[in-house]
Amino acid sequence: MNGETELIIKNLRKTFGKNKVINGIDFKLEEGERVVILGPSGSGKSTFLRCLNWMEEPTSGEIFFDGQLVTGKNIRKVRQNIGMVFQHFNLINNLTVMENLVLAPIKLKMMKRERAERRTKELLRHIGLSSKANSYPASLSGGQKQRIAIIRAMMLSPEVLLFDEPTSALDPESIGDVLSIIRELADNGMTIMIVTHEISFAKEIASRIVFIDKGKIIEEGSPEQFFSSPKTPRVKEFLDKVL
Amino acid sequence: MNNFFNKIVELFSTPEYIDSLLHGFLLTMQIAYFALLIGIFLGTIIALVDVAKPSKWLAIPKFICRIYTTVIRGTPMALQLFIMFFVIFAIKGFPSIITAIIAFGLNSAAYTAEVIRGGILSVDPGQTEAGLALGLSRLTIFFKIVAPQAIKNIIPALGNEIITVIKETAIVSMVGMYDLNMAAKDIGSGQNMASYIVPMFTAALFYLATIYLITFIVKKIEKSLRKSDLRAENK
Repeated sequence: MNGETELIIKNLRKTFGKNKVINGIDFKLEEGERVVILGPSGSGKSTFLRCLNWMEEPTSGEIFFDGQLVTGKNIRKVRQNIGMVFQHFNLINNLTVMENLVLAPIKLKMMKRERAERRTKELLRHIGLSSKANSYPASLSGGQKQRIAIIRAMMLSPEVLLFDEPTSALDPESIGDVLSIIRELADNGMTIMIVTHEISFAKEIASRIVFIDKGKIIEEGSPEQFFSSPKTPRVKEFLDKVL
Repeated sequence: MNNFFNKIVELFSTPEYIDSLLHGFLLTMQIAYFALLIGIFLGTIIALVDVAKPSKWLAIPKFICRIYTTVIRGTPMALQLFIMFFVIFAIKGFPSIITAIIAFGLNSAAYTAEVIRGGILSVDPGQTEAGLALGLSRLTIFFKIVAPQAIKNIIPALGNEIITVIKETAIVSMVGMYDLNMAAKDIGSGQNMASYIVPMFTAALFYLATIYLITFIVKKIEKSLRKSDLRAENK
């Protein structure tokens, strides 16, 4: 960890109509960190994650990426550097696996088609799905889709990867495959933020745990400290239920 | 019964009758064809304005589009045709085929807009999110991701609209135009034929055959578009 700050969030708020989902979050993400966001359902943890790359436009507050204020003008550049993996994979249905992977690098003029296809083949081989290059998403299992979605996000070599409940829609067997890819990315020093319900995985992979409830960060700390000696009654209650 | 067969023979052996039917059919198809071109073109624009992200530039166009579809869909086609003929284009010597094409085109645009709008909105928002998260532009997302998926939902309903317009053009006989419907009535009421049944059944067959052919083509297109939905391996 060379400690460069990737993201700074100041007093982030998000409301949907009258529903206040994020109620003032301040947060910093350093390079190489692996932050796991925990919290009860409806606590706003997914919304918080989705605000970071403006999948949800924040109602108020400021986000700085690489020291630059994120605005409507630079958001596309920011998104190219913050990859996102979704709960429901969101592979493009009308494109083959290969086209899913090369679409962004080619359209954003980051790679020529030839190079993008070569890179795609390498990555597909790495995750053991070389044979699926010309398949459409409809013919893949959930686990296969999610592994491809992860390497799709990696195609742009982002500085940060956001995972929004990446295993919640998967069967138990596929979960392991997906988690092992995330683990490998973490081992290679990728900066990661992940919303998950996989507590044991959170324990294993996190360098920091953030607990969100009612749209606020209630507690954060190292996994050892968070799981063995939580400071707040809310977290104690949560851990009693999930552990 | 004998009389019925005699009438069939008479209809198909009299060049004037065949000529009338073909002329009527041609007019029907001309009105439908050009009306559908206008309808699809205008309907696409209305649909795009309607589904576009709200902004201050689009507030007024969006409002106009909504009023337009509401009025067109909320009033009878025959009345719209009358208004075009007897109010808006009540100009001496103005070609009635143009008036009819405009009337049906403007009507079809409202329905086509709904079809296209529905097709676009039925694409999973996750597909757009995937594009956004990769930093793609809204234009790229629309043309590479949303439109190809929307078309699959649009084609069947658009086929329906094409069929509806072809059949609905029959009401131009109400303003005295000589379309297929009018030709059948004209032949049947003539002194020589003096029977409606054969010419009208023949006209019905013309409509039916045309629509059957269009249904067939639409099904073919649908099938080729569904390629990426197949769960089996695709090569």
